[in-house]
Amino acid sequence: MCCRGGRRAMGVVLVWGMMLGGTPAQVNPNSLWLNSRGMWLSYACGVLVLHLALLSFPFLSVATVWTLTNVIHNLVMFVFLHVLKGTPWESGDQGKVRKLTHWEQIDDGIQFTSTRKFLTVVPIILFFLTSFYTKYDSFHFVVNFIALLLVLLPKLPQFHCVRLFGINKY
Amino acid sequence: MRSNTQHMTNGCNGRATSGAPEVGVHHHKHEYECQGVTNGHVRHSSPPPAPVTPNGQSCVGRRHVHVNEEVPFHIILICYLSYVVLILFGYMRDLMRKTGLERNTNAVERDREGYVQLYQSFESFYTRNIYRRIRDAWNMPIASVPGARITIIDRLTPDYNNTFSYPGTKTEAINMGSYNYLGFAENTGPIIENVNNTIDQYIVGVGTTRHELGTTEAISQLETLTARYLGVESSVVFGMGFGTNATNIHTIVGKGCLVLSDELNHASLILGCRLSRATVRTFRHNDMRDLERKLREQLVLGQPRTHREWKKVIIIVEGIYSMEGSIIDLPELIRIKKKYKCYVYLDEAHSIGAIGPHGRGVCDYYGCDPNDIDILMGTFTKSFGAAGGYLAGKKSLIDHIRVHSYGDAYACAMAPLVATQISSVMTTLMGEDGTNQGQQRIKQLARNTRYFRRKLNQLGFILYGNDDSPVVPLMLYFLPKIPAVIRMAYKEGIGFIGAGFPATSLTTGRVRFCISASHTREMLDKSIEFMDEIGDKLEIKYSARRRSKSEIIY
Repeated sequence: MCCRGGRRAMGVVLVWGMMLGGTPAQVNPNSLWLNSRGMWLSYACGVLVLHLALLSFPFLSVATVWTLTNVIHNLVMFVFLHVLKGTPWESGDQGKVRKLTHWEQIDDGIQFTSTRKFLTVVPIILFFLTSFYTKYDSFHFVVNFIALLLVLLPKLPQFHCVRLFGINKY
Repeated sequence: MRSNTQHMTNGCNGRATSGAPEVGVHHHKHEYECQGVTNGHVRHSSPPPAPVTPNGQSCVGRRHVHVNEEVPFHIILICYLSYVVLILFGYMRDLMRKTGLERNTNAVERDREGYVQLYQSFESFYTRNIYRRIRDAWNMPIASVPGARITIIDRLTPDYNNTFSYPGTKTEAINMGSYNYLGFAENTGPIIENVNNTIDQYIVGVGTTRHELGTTEAISQLETLTARYLGVESSVVFGMGFGTNATNIHTIVGKGCLVLSDELNHASLILGCRLSRATVRTFRHNDMRDLERKLREQLVLGQPRTHREWKKVIIIVEGIYSMEGSIIDLPELIRIKKKYKCYVYLDEAHSIGAIGPHGRGVCDYYGCDPNDIDILMGTFTKSFGAAGGYLAGKKSLIDHIRVHSYGDAYACAMAPLVATQISSVMTTLMGEDGTNQGQQRIKQLARNTRYFRRKLNQLGFILYGNDDSPVVPLMLYFLPKIPAVIRMAYKEGIGFIGAGFPATSLTTGRVRFCISASHTREMLDKSIEFMDEIGDKLEIKYSARRRSKSEIIY
C-alpha cells in the first residue's frame, strides 16, 4: 500500500494538536521539510560543526577524526532516516505512513528527487574525503566502507519498503 | 500567438482590429471589456461604474505582482539550529521521564499487560515536547462576540501548560485575529434589528435538506441577491463554507478530468477534488508561469495510462490566500484560461466583501468581468458576519449543481435567519438600504489596510502578500518567537494568530493580523507601537529593503 510508486496523497488534516492558522494542504509535512530553503547549506554546516568539534580533541589524530566524522554522520543518518518510523505528530492520512521510515516518506515516495539525490551523494563525498585524509589506510578503509554501505543500501529504490528478516517491521 | 489575437477580435465583433493588443501586454483594459461585450457573452447586470480606489486612482486592470522578500541565509541556519535544540531537549526530557528523573504527566494505559500499545510515544513527540509547552498561545476561550474588541478568559498554568486553572478574570483585547473584514461581527445595530424582526416571520432553523423542505423564501431571496451582487446569472447557497467546496466539486469534475490547483489551496478544496476522483496536479503558489507550463505538459500527456485527451480541465484557485495574504493574479489567469480553453473555479472565501472598490471581490479589484470566471465560490463567514457559502455562475450550471450537489441532497439547508442576516448585509453593501454605510465600511477597510501595511513595512518587518490584502502575515521565521510575541501582546491587550510548523513550512513561522473596517485608528496605532517595541526587543525586523522615512498619513 505504501509502495505503489509516488501517488501524491491528499486529504484533510486533523486540526487538534497542530498549530492553527489554516489547515495545511500537505498531509504529511515530513515529506516536504527536507526541501526547505537553505537545507543543503545548513546540512553541510552541520557536518562541518561536527568535524570541528571532533578536531578539538587533542589526543585524536587527523585520520581518526575523519573516520569518526564519517562513522558518526552515517550512524546518525541511518538512525534518523532509516530506523525511526512514522511521524512525530499525528499525521492526517489515518496512519498510512506509520510504518514508513523517513527516507520512504520523502516527497511521498517519488524516487530520484533532488533531495534524495543530495542525501545519497553526501555520504559518498564524505567517504572520498575521509579516504584521502586517512591516506588510504586499510583499517580505516574497511571501517569507512562498511559505514558507507550501511547508509547507501537502504537508499536504493529496490529497498523501498523492504524490511530484511522482519527487523523494524512494526 | 496569432490565433489568440484573432480570438480577441472575434469576441469584440471585429471592432478592435486596428488596436488589437499583443498577447504579452495583458494589463491592457481592452482585453476584458470591449464596449461591454466580451467573447460574445453579454453581461447580465449593468456593469458598475469605472472602478476607483479610495485615493481616486483607477484600478482597472491593475496588476501588482508581489514578490515576498527573502530573509538572509544566516537566519535560516539559526532557525534550523533552533529545531535541533528543541529536538535534542525533547529526547533528553523523554529519557528523563522514562527513567523517573522527571515526573511523567502523560496519560498511561493501565491494566494492559500483553496488549500492543494503542499509541506510539513517537507519534506524540511533537505534541508533548513542543506544542504543549507553548499551547497557552492557542485556542484561548473567549466570552464575547469577535468584533473589533474581544474578551478573552484568562488562564493560569502552574505546571507549564499541562493543566489550566481559571481565576475568573477576563482580558479585553483588540481583536486582530478574527476574520471580520467589514466589521459586521457585532450583536447590535440595524442589521441585527432586521434579523430579530424576522424571527417571527421565518422559523429559526429548518432541520431538513434543500431538496425536501429546506428551500425557504429567505434563501431564494438571498440567492437572487447574491447573483445580482456578483454580476452573474444565478447562484446557489449552502449552509457551510467548507461544505460548499467539499460537496460540490464532484458535480463539475469527475474521473478523466484534470484539476490544476494551487499548492496552498485550502483543505476543503483538496477534499472536494479528492472526492471527485479527478486527477489533481498542483502548481507553485500564485505562479502563473508555472501554471502555464504544467498545463501545457498535462495537455500534451493526456490522461494517465491511456493518454487520451482530458474530458475537462479546470483550474482551482483562491482569491486571497489566508496564510499568505497574496491576491491571485487574475488577469493573467483569465488570459491563460482563454488561451487553453479551460475552466476556472475561484474560491473567494477571504476576498468577497474585503477587496475591490465596491467590495465585490477579486474581479472587482482587477476590473475583470465576473462572467469570465466559470464558477465563483465564496463564503459568508468572513465579511458578512454569518455562516455559509455560495456558488455562482451561469444559470444552466447552477441548475445542474442544484440537482446533483451532495450538499443540497444530504446536508441541512441554511437557516432562514442566517440568510436574512446575509441579505441585510448585502443590501447594505450595495447601498440599497438608503445609507452609505456599506461604501463607508469598504473604504474604511481599504484605508486601514493600507495604513497598517505601510506602517509595518516602514518599521522594517517582512510582510507577505499583496499590499492591498487585509490579511497581514508578519514573518517571524523562528518557531519559539511566535508564542513569545503572542504572550506579550496578550499582556498588552492585543490578540492575533500565530502559525508555525507543521501548519506552515519549517522556516516560515508567522503571526497573522486580520484588518477590519471596525478597527479605529487608535487601535491600529496601539498595535503598531506594540510591534515596534517588541520588534526591537526580539529582533524581528528582518527587512533589508530600502524604506521611505516619510510620514504615513492615515
